[in-house]
Amino acid sequence: MSEGIVNESPEGRCPVPHGAVRAMSGECPVPHGVRAAAAAVGGDAGAAHGDHGAGQDRTASRRGFLGALAGAAVAAPVGVAAAMAHPTAADAAAASSKNGTPAKFDFHGSHQAGILAPVRRSTALLALDVTAADRAGLQRLFQTITERARFLTSGTAAPEVGISTVPSDSGILGPDGVAGGLTVTVGVGASLFDGRFGLASVKPAKLRTMEDFEDDALDRSICDGDLLIQLEADDADVVTHGVRELLRATRGDMQLRWRRDGFSSPPRPSGTPRNLMGFKDGTSNPLTSDAKAMKELVWTHGGENGEPAWVEGGSYLAVRVIRMLVEFWDRIGLDEQQQIFGRFRGSGAPLTGTKEFDDPHYELDSTGAVIQFNAHIRLANPRTAATANQRMLRRAFNYDAGVDANGNLDQGLVFTAFNQDIERQFVTVQKRLAGEPLVDYISPIGGGYYFALPGVKNASDWFGKGLFA
Amino acid sequence: MTQRSPFSARSRSPFIWGTVAVAIAAAGIVVGVMLRPAPSPAGGAAAASALPHGTLQLTISSCGQSWGTDAGASGSSKGVAAGGARTFHFYNGNTGDVEVQLQDVDTKKVFLEVDGVGVGATATGSVVLGKGDYRLVCYPADADPVAGPVVKVGAAPKGAQLTPGIVPVTTNDLIPVAKAYGQWVDGRLPALQAQVRQLNADVARGDLTAAKRDWLTAHLSYEGLGAAYGAFGDHDTAINGTPAAGKTALTDPALTGFHKIEALLWSGSPAAQLAPYTTKLVGAVDALAKDPGTDRIDPIDIGLRAHEIVENAIQFELTGATDAGSHTNLATIDANLGGSAEALSVLTGLLTSRYDDLAETRAALAASTKLVEGYRRADGSWVPLESLSRSQRQQLNASLDRLVELLAPVAEITEPRKALQ
Repeated sequence: MSEGIVNESPEGRCPVPHGAVRAMSGECPVPHGVRAAAAAVGGDAGAAHGDHGAGQDRTASRRGFLGALAGAAVAAPVGVAAAMAHPTAADAAAASSKNGTPAKFDFHGSHQAGILAPVRRSTALLALDVTAADRAGLQRLFQTITERARFLTSGTAAPEVGISTVPSDSGILGPDGVAGGLTVTVGVGASLFDGRFGLASVKPAKLRTMEDFEDDALDRSICDGDLLIQLEADDADVVTHGVRELLRATRGDMQLRWRRDGFSSPPRPSGTPRNLMGFKDGTSNPLTSDAKAMKELVWTHGGENGEPAWVEGGSYLAVRVIRMLVEFWDRIGLDEQQQIFGRFRGSGAPLTGTKEFDDPHYELDSTGAVIQFNAHIRLANPRTAATANQRMLRRAFNYDAGVDANGNLDQGLVFTAFNQDIERQFVTVQKRLAGEPLVDYISPIGGGYYFALPGVKNASDWFGKGLFA
Repeated sequence: MTQRSPFSARSRSPFIWGTVAVAIAAAGIVVGVMLRPAPSPAGGAAAASALPHGTLQLTISSCGQSWGTDAGASGSSKGVAAGGARTFHFYNGNTGDVEVQLQDVDTKKVFLEVDGVGVGATATGSVVLGKGDYRLVCYPADADPVAGPVVKVGAAPKGAQLTPGIVPVTTNDLIPVAKAYGQWVDGRLPALQAQVRQLNADVARGDLTAAKRDWLTAHLSYEGLGAAYGAFGDHDTAINGTPAAGKTALTDPALTGFHKIEALLWSGSPAAQLAPYTTKLVGAVDALAKDPGTDRIDPIDIGLRAHEIVENAIQFELTGATDAGSHTNLATIDANLGGSAEALSVLTGLLTSRYDDLAETRAALAASTKLVEGYRRADGSWVPLESLSRSQRQQLNASLDRLVELLAPVAEITEPRKALQ
């Protein structure tokens, strides 16, 4: 299943002089998403930055950034895009908080900020069931979630409550407000559109309950849910704080169904973060800076593809909690590991290439002699014209969650992917991966399909408002 | 409500602000107030020099002098200050601890309380004030309260989230409440005494079917008194104790009371084995009824009850933790909710003007009760907690979770405080 590489990009044709920086070069799209951040922080960015090293840049730029932008809200896409036009500012924006992400993401926008934002170090996925009694209760719930998310992502200090009640905040982040690169991404599951709230007629066209794929071992107690809220931030305490405050404000109206926490690793030593099988994961993601690709691969459009009008700017979210049988995996040889993925473990390069972002050039390996036909990357993204619109925007996290009855570690991947059309993209790719050699070493145990709502556009808008129009 | 070391230990003692810096938005105004500067060789100025900028000295006769701008300049008798966020630093140079409140002179509502500032400590408190006349009131540990000068505060900036104020509830306010509650407890004890006698009689004649039924009746009567727990002390351990760590109600040799009897009854133990425990329970309940402490609820505790009863129901009943075989946790929760309702009821007079969500709280309590009682079958038996579906559990959890969120402020509002009229 899909980890590393569910969607190998057919656009791997960009020249890549120095690893991640390839996007800096001429005809390639200007990156301002995940990879841009990785490049700026990862030390992978050598030549494209000219004569100064990425490391020293970062230090210098951090001061510059703080001086120039202290207190201002910095939307990731805007901030980094501007940065790319001016290399000095680029580094500054990337260095504005740890891990190369802005300290604060604008909450308001056409899309939810957490979708195209660079992957941050820490995340929690909360699947919830709505317990509100009726439609009005559900509206109130969405409004409360919106208000809390708006507040939490703003980094504002909690209000003083005087002597009449308990503190308005858990205090986990201290007395001052901390934005911490927090985003709160809200999705709805198919079950929300059953009879309870009168929403059946406005269900997103492709939203349904996640099926059991051939190699799955789904535990339905950790699948599905009326809502999926993903919190993501630079640090785990910011995520935990957000979880606490969100749940506290909504206790009567929703209940946790399942939860999975994840983390994203720093570049080791450079490039895309690694999964817990040791492989770089997400190398060939489409560029979030490529507006055309995002329009065609990520965002849903009202009135198109059978969709209701309100879905404009939303996206289908596939979540898969994939356990890795890490003890078993660690007992197989490097060659076999690499052949299973189709990449070198160390560099992340395709077995037909030299550097991480090299095109695998399947046309030169037409017998599958180097990268086997059932290698993960080759099945996930054959890089043909016919499969180009099957790519999706993946945002992968690792999880490390304890021990099973056999005393084996419960580790794996929290796979999340945003799709314009979940059937055309995630489901199609997933079916193609059936029976791949990797399935012996992984076990998909949970997850679900959700529809990530359109963004909250302004101070009077709220999540899901379009559902009730 | 059967746990042994429950919230009776929850402290009402003043918590220490000295080390807690409650800072607010950077825009906040910082004001320092010094209470009776500690004598030192270099004089009061030395002590003051280490304090935050803006700290003003204060004597025993003027609490919070000059936290507004100089009144003399404008010819007004009141100091003047801008509305909005404001942080106070209180330095206690007194020889005893001191409590400070920020009071609206006209309404007597308090917006900030710094409780128990230790000798030599500097405590901080923040507040967002709207237009009005305010003063600080100091309550030294062993001296009369001292009111500071009145400061006229202007309107807060647009959009500021004002700190709410309430008129403090005093111990005197709570004494009749505690008394009323004690009388309610008294009124219920005779029925409980009769019910445990019935249970004992069932066992004595070997009718264990009747014993199960009457065990539940008696147990729910006791659980309905939940508000009083903690006040029952060792009686509660004897009557409704739970097994020691690592033991079950059946295996804990030291356990007596309802849960021991429950474990024996529902595990099919013979009447002869039960009899000593049901007899002992009669004695324990009689001892409770006889104890003059039983109906004396400390006013300090009364405000905690409504909230803590439900917290404990969530922790020990909704989890099934106390179940010793009868599978009647839902019945226990129902009884607990009744106890919470009574505890809330006696506070209504104090809460009406102080708690905006009181009506919502009462409605939530009623809704939770209705939901739980939906699991009582027509024949009076109860659906076992563990047979609920996931969705039913979510509804139940959500309902009780929301209820405790609404009950939590009750304890804060009814904490007995000092007040200066």
